[in-house]
Amino acid sequence: MNEQRPAEMRLARAFVPFQTYRTTFSPEEGLRKGTIFPELYFPYRERER
Amino acid sequence: MNGARSRLELLRRIQALEFTAIDLNLFLDTHPRERRALEDYNRVVRELAAAKREYEEAYGPLVNFGHAPSPDGWRWIDEPWPWEVEN
Repeated sequence: MNEQRPAEMRLARAFVPFQTYRTTFSPEEGLRKGTIFPELYFPYRERER
Repeated sequence: MNGARSRLELLRRIQALEFTAIDLNLFLDTHPRERRALEDYNRVVRELAAAKREYEEAYGPLVNFGHAPSPDGWRWIDEPWPWEVEN
């Protein structure tokens, strides 16, 4: 499977900045949104709920 | 009931608190010295334990083994199961 990829192209390079502790969602909101960290919540489509 | 919160209300609160504890746990794994996160975690865990105790005293065991005594008969088989509670 790797052969099709040009040699010089890297498979992936992730840049993950170190998360700092700021604010968190309330437990109920966190459970609904799937995270308690606002900085990690970015759904593809904002659901109405 | 002795003023205990409704069964579904308590279950929802337990779910939300447990989810929060898990997410804080994941954060603390990579930030063990982040004091405020640890304080929040400890506060959530205390409230979670109290909510579970309140639930079990009023509505019976949440899990079927090793978690809570069942002094007044084996309540685990009483309907509905915790995950079946609707109203």
